[in-house]
Amino acid sequence: MASDGEFKAHSPGETIEALTKEAEALKAKLEEERQKLNDVALSTVAERLEVINYLNIKPRRVLKGHQAKVLCSDWSPDKRHIVSSSQDGKMIIWDAFTTNKEHAVTMPTTWVMACAYAPSGNLVACGGLDNKVTVYPLSLEEDVSTKKKTVGTHTSYMSCCTFPNSDQQILTGSGDSTCALWDVESGQLLQNFHGHAGDVMALDLAPSETGNTFVSGSCDRMVLIWDMRTGQCVQSFEGHQSDINSVKFHPSGDAVATGSDDSTCRLFDLRADKEVAIYSKESIIFGVNSVDFSVSGRLLFAGYNDYTVNVWDSLKCIRVTLLYGHENRVSCLQVSPDGTALSTGSWDYTLRVIYLMNSLVFCFVIF
Amino acid sequence: IGLSDTAVMDMMISNLQQQRQVTEQLRREAAIKRISVSQAVLDIMKYITEHEQEDCLLVGFSSQKANPFREKSSCTLL
Repeated sequence: MASDGEFKAHSPGETIEALTKEAEALKAKLEEERQKLNDVALSTVAERLEVINYLNIKPRRVLKGHQAKVLCSDWSPDKRHIVSSSQDGKMIIWDAFTTNKEHAVTMPTTWVMACAYAPSGNLVACGGLDNKVTVYPLSLEEDVSTKKKTVGTHTSYMSCCTFPNSDQQILTGSGDSTCALWDVESGQLLQNFHGHAGDVMALDLAPSETGNTFVSGSCDRMVLIWDMRTGQCVQSFEGHQSDINSVKFHPSGDAVATGSDDSTCRLFDLRADKEVAIYSKESIIFGVNSVDFSVSGRLLFAGYNDYTVNVWDSLKCIRVTLLYGHENRVSCLQVSPDGTALSTGSWDYTLRVIYLMNSLVFCFVIF
Repeated sequence: IGLSDTAVMDMMISNLQQQRQVTEQLRREAAIKRISVSQAVLDIMKYITEHEQEDCLLVGFSSQKANPFREKSSCTLL
């Protein structure tokens, strides 16, 4: 039987010792390969670009109605409505044009940490400390709560959720360190994603042209790229010095941006397989809760614990402007589906919608 | 085999499985085809340049008409 701590498995030589040694060698090789291709800094290449002159941006709408911290929000595919969820256990659906509240749903739990619109715009999902993801068909005829349906349950809080392709499936991330893909109708678990060593705090889908992958960020400081069909982690990135709170794909699908408690945002390029930019300033010492790109990917919006939103030039790696207004942490932010506006949600109980009237912006790229 | 022996074996199997998973994951990642940062960055810049003019949060609205949030004086047919 087993002897001396050595257990012979499928093939000879596949002992724990051999595997561990191989793992160490592979890690070193990975670092070496990545460094070999690290031939230039992003900001250096972007030196030729004109500096962005950002004027005339201010909050245009303030959405008031929550009675506690706003934790999450999501734009409707109709580019006009927003769903938001709060520590008070409520989920509200807003018309961002008029600021009217169209639905207010009371959840049986407080700390509704995640909410999302389905692609049809007729369904929303939310959940949080109840460990569940529950979907609510939106109806003007009856109380939205009556037709609700619990789709999936984790073994810890649900921190994020999104509908990958249709109203039929939902992807969740959880404090139990896993992500999961569920069938909405049957509640069946379709795929499980194991790999993080800490709470999953955020996830984002790759832009549809690039296939069935998504990215997750975790308290284990890792950024993982997943294949939705196989459940396999296909790529991983490290670099952050603390919990990652937000991850977003660059609209090109070739990179992901992250925001972390370490007060930095970073850009990881999938094809170079490494971190290519870090967005930070010595004066910024508070954690980042949420990031999102503008439609072209040139601007990276980031919401911080110091109540501000920093707008970064993603290429030149400098800050373009600071947005003030919230009276507490910015917990979530999101660019609208057509890129016309930015919504921000805060622990000050409000959401704000911002758009740019006009600006003097010239961005020439001279090769 | 006594009870303690099977328990020990179970633990060794799971440690081995775990290590195998870790090593296999690293093998997959090491096999990824990488491109140089300079090439990757140029591609990102190309995408951005191609889409900059449609980026309302970057270049603003060309006119009030283009702004979906503008105050509307009359009803719009949806």
